[in-house]
Amino acid sequence: MPARSLQSLGWALALPPVLFLLAFFVGPLLYLLYVSFHGASTSDLYNAELTLANYAAIAGDPFYLRVLLRTLETAAAIMGLCLAVGYPVAMLVAKLPRRRREIASILLLLPLMVSNVVRAYGWVAILGRRGLVNIALGKVGLIDAPLALLYTPAAVVLGLATILLPYMVISIANTLASLDRRYEEAAQALGAGPIRTFLHVTLPLSSPGVASGLLLVFLLTLSAYVTVTLLGGPPSKLLVSLVYDNVVSFQWPRAAALAFVLLAVALVVSALILAVLRPGRVRGRGR
Amino acid sequence: MRGLAALRTLVVVLAALVIVAPIVIVVVTAFSPTDFFVFPPPSLSLRWFHEFFSLSEMRDAFSLSLELAVMASSAAVVLAIPAALFVARRSGPVVTAVQALFLAPLVFPTIILGLALLLFYRTIHMPILPGLLLAHSVVGAPYAFRTTLAGLQSFDPALEEAGHSLGAGPLQTFFLVVLPLIWPSVLSGWLFAFIVSFGELNTALFLTGPGHTTLPIEIFSYLQFQGSQLVVAAASAIQVAMILIMVAAIERAVGLRRLVRA
Repeated sequence: MPARSLQSLGWALALPPVLFLLAFFVGPLLYLLYVSFHGASTSDLYNAELTLANYAAIAGDPFYLRVLLRTLETAAAIMGLCLAVGYPVAMLVAKLPRRRREIASILLLLPLMVSNVVRAYGWVAILGRRGLVNIALGKVGLIDAPLALLYTPAAVVLGLATILLPYMVISIANTLASLDRRYEEAAQALGAGPIRTFLHVTLPLSSPGVASGLLLVFLLTLSAYVTVTLLGGPPSKLLVSLVYDNVVSFQWPRAAALAFVLLAVALVVSALILAVLRPGRVRGRGR
Repeated sequence: MRGLAALRTLVVVLAALVIVAPIVIVVVTAFSPTDFFVFPPPSLSLRWFHEFFSLSEMRDAFSLSLELAVMASSAAVVLAIPAALFVARRSGPVVTAVQALFLAPLVFPTIILGLALLLFYRTIHMPILPGLLLAHSVVGAPYAFRTTLAGLQSFDPALEEAGHSLGAGPLQTFFLVVLPLIWPSVLSGWLFAFIVSFGELNTALFLTGPGHTTLPIEIFSYLQFQGSQLVVAAASAIQVAMILIMVAAIERAVGLRRLVRA
């Protein structure tokens, strides 16, 4: 009997795109992992000998540990800022009637479509030596010499937090909008004030949105080489900068090992976020 | 409670400001006639846009980004449709795995993917242009997959069965029944993949080479090495303008709201 629909072709249908992703996504990652267990070579990408030297060097060097710590601190500050600003905004968006909520989501989506290099450049224009803030403060006569606002960890935190903020707002707003209002009404009928209702009912029920917002912000922070470089400069290098630096100096196996350290950090922190917020425990997300 | 409400309004206004202001400042600066950054510009001029189009490396970067985005988003759609057809009406571990594989590039740290592809390409001697195209296709595939899958899951399977019972073969049913029904989803997936490819940084960072640079990477290297040149602002404004054109295209063709509902 001939296939009645393209869908009944089954595996034959999915095979070409799956093979494509295995060849250009999964395969190269496994190759990268393989390279990370080799030493550097002057003529090839790596030498033939298997070794743990790259990982040992990273673990044993206080410089790498300092950068790792700085990466975690920066990411924590960015996530905290996004959550603190994003949550109240999301609450407002979630309360809008459906049509206006969709318009608000579109407005939040638009800046995410602009390339991050352009959005980082905007912050360079604001914070730079001859930037907007220094021009304004100079005109008012508050400062004699320009302030060094750019190339600081604070500039990286501010820049990335504002670039990633829409992700947090959209994630939380989607969850809040789909919450069953009756839970909050029940809490209030049982005598809980607005603050207690928020802390014991709304906040725990919104944990899936908070978790996905935090995950997105964290994972995108880890990869944000261009933003980190433009706003942080040499003194605020993060893990991702070290990966890049090793590539530029042709230290392929070291770069590969650092990439997997980055990936390990991504996995561990993601698992932590999920373990603390337990988004899976929220059920009954009816309308 | 009034104080709390006022505080929240303040937070919302502040959030809108810090999200939008950097983009607006760059776009306005692009029209400045001055040599260096002055804000607000004393008058408006197209000086830096002339400069942009007279610099061959800027022009080339712009056209390469455009060509890449068109080809990569088309490739993403071609990859996404069969995968979405496979996933749409099935369940089980294999289906979950295929779905996870297709959505993975969405959350995977793309800088690692860029490095992995760089080493892989060096080993197999892949030329720059096809290498970039393949990378942008991988990055765009999840967007095309997600919208196409949403489109497939929202139409009535009975329509497809009607096609079969009227004697249409599988390919005929797909092109005459399924595709016309899901094309708005496919199109919005294509446009979304285009936008993502046009702004892509993390994989392109490693995969562009001399003579073959994309617009975002060209902007980045200008900012690093000759940052005071306002031609970067013009390049950025052109990046934003292209995104606005694509967004207008989505709105006209399928309606923007499809993007936030999916």
